Amino acid sequence: MTNFIIKYRWLIISICLLLGAGFAALIPSARTDPEIRNYVPSTMKSRIETDKIENVFGVQDMVVILFSDSSIITSHNLKQIKEIDRGISKISGISGRISPFTIKNIKGEEGMMVADPLIRKIPTDSTSRRELMESVATNRFARDVVFSYDFSSASITATTGNKRAESVTLNQIDSVINSNPGKSKILKGGLPYIRRYIMKDVQKDAVIIVPVALLIMLLILKLTLGDWRSMFMPFTVVVLSTAISMGLIPLFGWKMSILSLLVPIILVAVANNYGIYLVARHQEIGVKWNGSSREMITRLTGSLNMPILFSGLTTIAGILGLLTHSIIPARQVGILAATGVTMALIMSLLFIPALIYIRGSKPMKSEKKQVDTKLFDRFLSWLSGLIVRSPGKILIVSVFVTIIISMGMIFLRIDTNQENYFPRKHPIRSASNIINSKFGGSQTISVMISGDIKNPGVMQAIDNLTLKLEKQDGAGKVFSISQVVREMSKSIYNSNEAEYDHIPATRDAIAQLFELYNMSGDQNDFNQLMNLDNTKAHILIRLSRPENQVINQMKELIKKEAVNFPADLTIGGYAIIMSDFAESIIKGQASSLLFAVLTVFILLSIIFKSLRGGLTGTIPLAVSIFILFGFMGITGIALDAATALLSSIMIGVGVDFTIQYMWCFNSELRSGLTHDEATVKAMRTIGRSIIINAMSVMAGFSALMFSGFTSIRFFGYLVIISIGSCLIGAIVIIPAFLIKFKPGFIQKDLSNKKRRKYEKDTNLITITTAAFSGSSATS
Amino acid sequence: MTGSMSSIISLTIIEKGGSVRKRTISMIAKSYPDGAEKRLIRFIEPADVRGTSMLVVDNKSTADEMWIYLPALKKTRRIVSSEKGKSFMSSEFSNADMSSPALSDFNNNHLKNSGENNLWIIESTPVDADKAEEYGYSRKISYISSVNWQVKKIEYYNFDNQLFKIMEVKGIQPSENGKYIIRDMIASNIITGRSSKILLDKITTGINIDDSQFSLQNLER
Repeated sequence: MTNFIIKYRWLIISICLLLGAGFAALIPSARTDPEIRNYVPSTMKSRIETDKIENVFGVQDMVVILFSDSSIITSHNLKQIKEIDRGISKISGISGRISPFTIKNIKGEEGMMVADPLIRKIPTDSTSRRELMESVATNRFARDVVFSYDFSSASITATTGNKRAESVTLNQIDSVINSNPGKSKILKGGLPYIRRYIMKDVQKDAVIIVPVALLIMLLILKLTLGDWRSMFMPFTVVVLSTAISMGLIPLFGWKMSILSLLVPIILVAVANNYGIYLVARHQEIGVKWNGSSREMITRLTGSLNMPILFSGLTTIAGILGLLTHSIIPARQVGILAATGVTMALIMSLLFIPALIYIRGSKPMKSEKKQVDTKLFDRFLSWLSGLIVRSPGKILIVSVFVTIIISMGMIFLRIDTNQENYFPRKHPIRSASNIINSKFGGSQTISVMISGDIKNPGVMQAIDNLTLKLEKQDGAGKVFSISQVVREMSKSIYNSNEAEYDHIPATRDAIAQLFELYNMSGDQNDFNQLMNLDNTKAHILIRLSRPENQVINQMKELIKKEAVNFPADLTIGGYAIIMSDFAESIIKGQASSLLFAVLTVFILLSIIFKSLRGGLTGTIPLAVSIFILFGFMGITGIALDAATALLSSIMIGVGVDFTIQYMWCFNSELRSGLTHDEATVKAMRTIGRSIIINAMSVMAGFSALMFSGFTSIRFFGYLVIISIGSCLIGAIVIIPAFLIKFKPGFIQKDLSNKKRRKYEKDTNLITITTAAFSGSSATS
Repeated sequence: MTGSMSSIISLTIIEKGGSVRKRTISMIAKSYPDGAEKRLIRFIEPADVRGTSMLVVDNKSTADEMWIYLPALKKTRRIVSSEKGKSFMSSEFSNADMSSPALSDFNNNHLKNSGENNLWIIESTPVDADKAEEYGYSRKISYISSVNWQVKKIEYYNFDNQLFKIMEVKGIQPSENGKYIIRDMIASNIITGRSSKILLDKITTGINIDDSQFSLQNLER
């Protein structure tokens, strides 16, 4: 190894730098994908069904322009809305729109049928304004659709087609709005705007979070390594490995997502540890070094390679748990972060020794400042004393606390609503609140009915389903062709006739109603609700509460109704994809947890040559998982696309603490100490470095608290909880468990040669970190 | 149209995607000395609207009147719409396209090159905003043969002065009194990509049609 590093030192350095620079050059070409539906595989049923519906009725993603004023029915406000509506109608990227000026009034008066615009002329006096309000109040296609019930808001809803790039269409809408200023307050909402904000905020976040994380890392390096030259080496490793993993995004043809933001942070928090090991060890050896550079490298690599490798492998194994996720960006994060950690591991083992060799063997001037750690030492003594005195009580309290917090899991909820990515005061949240509370919501479920739509049995079934859906909790507005037929029947029959507001009994009667409408209206008025061949109809459900529970209830109802429905039903829409996405999160969470726990269990069983050892080592992980989910339930932090990644990362990072403690404890036992003595000593040495390591990881992840996305911020907070619980598991629960139950595996003589070496190496790390007087980090 | 006539008319609506909807109707029409015109239309195809009948009275000085009889519902309803620009039977043709234009509703003037190549090019602009709103366009440009005075093509511009519809006359046949009947015409919407074609078949002119044919009683027969 030493010979290899020395012989190819320049090649190693060049390759590392070139790889880093090459991949970094690719990063600017990475594009952002804000479309959450792409998070689920295109083979997923909900995506296939939604595509089928969108092929017939177009994309149902709605842009909603909101106009708010104390009273929106003023000539000035209406003129502004009309101008903006007219401007939007000219945008080629808009496939359809609903506005106060597109809505029709279907009326039957004195033997006449009228299908005229809701607003023929903008009212200028109080009488005509009142007439308009009355007209809106009785028109189901206008009330709470284009005007809110309290007439404080109006809306233009436009569906975006695929003629133009969405960003171009949104810019054109903005331009139309800006060129028509008025008194009303304008807010923009709907999924296309949410996507645009995500794109903007992902880029903004990357610009803020990554530098903050690097700054935090520099502070940690300064604290642990002291001199700038030593800091440069692990810093370079993190920067290079981050550049490589992020450069893989465009190389693989992937796109940046909100989750991609986590990759550089994971690397900053985790990947610097291996470099710190080596540089710290080099500083320690180098102060009084008088041998050759070759001997220095031999000693350095010989003493540290194995523990670094084990540490790296367990971290990679945990992160690779994400590969079992069905959420596509989660799998991508798994690959990117695992690649980054692998690169950091390889570079730490090759690149840093090569740099050290080039620097030469002259004695180092260690600039580390001795930190007063009396308080820390006293804390560690107190902690070990407590564990030794009352291991049983500690275990009982731990079990009790874990059970109490775990009970919070009952309240754990899943949230796939993209609106909630944004903080409460974000303009998109304000717009969403108004859309959901006053306009029936912008997120939709679509039901496509395939059959003879003019058949009265089918039309009646559509009407029955529509009525049931309207009554469902969380249904904001439901639109269907049966409502149009009923409105038309109202214009034909008098209210005292049985057929009034009913679906006609014959196919011909339904067909003739449509023909009647065609005479004064336009069949294209219903093109969102029925195709021109009358072979497919569409029930569009707008959700005022786009929550998974609401969506699932709707889905169940539709599935139940589909059993005896006289035509085929296809369920799709954005909300249904989100429901599948939520299911993916749960399945992904379970599978990635299982994978990571199993892998870690196998690794621990191999390391400790005991299944019981493997099982014991997974205790802190299990405790941490329960505490994490329990805490999320208690605090109301939902499991979403970002927080779903947490447990795998937590396992990858947190398992190191347990391995280190158990290994150190084992070596102290075998050196002849009793269980109590070994606990006190392990706590003083490895306990210290585990705490410092945990702190540095938490500090690295704390950069996420500066994110513009709520769920990424929550991720930052939850890392502290989860790493904190892993820490407590490793230095409190595991020591208490080992003292209380004195399992046989922990007293085993590890006679394997490699193990002896690992033991020696771990001791060296302990010595190294202890030598820093509490200012080093190890993993 | 002038005098009296009967015909079988087929209206074909072709969607942008290529799907086709077809309607066949029979029509009798009679014009009166005061300029009014009455039409009785009966649907032949599609089958589910067969028997649906319409009576249209196209008044020159007052609003048009339209009644429809729906046999399956056994109801006659009057349809009211003041919008001449409104679609005719859900096609690209407007109600205004189906009747003779009132010259007083427009300001007409020749455009550059008008008169060259045996073609008059005339721009017609509605006299006021209300008329423009009623017709549903800001202006139209007619291309008329200076040889036989027959309209070849009309281009329609929306309120953003954007060409949105072209109506082309494909076939004309002589009628009584030296006048002509448009037999074949097509209207294409440039923006939606939809087009509609009207074809008159079995045209008989100069027939004697009793006024009682254009009554509500006859509509429901």
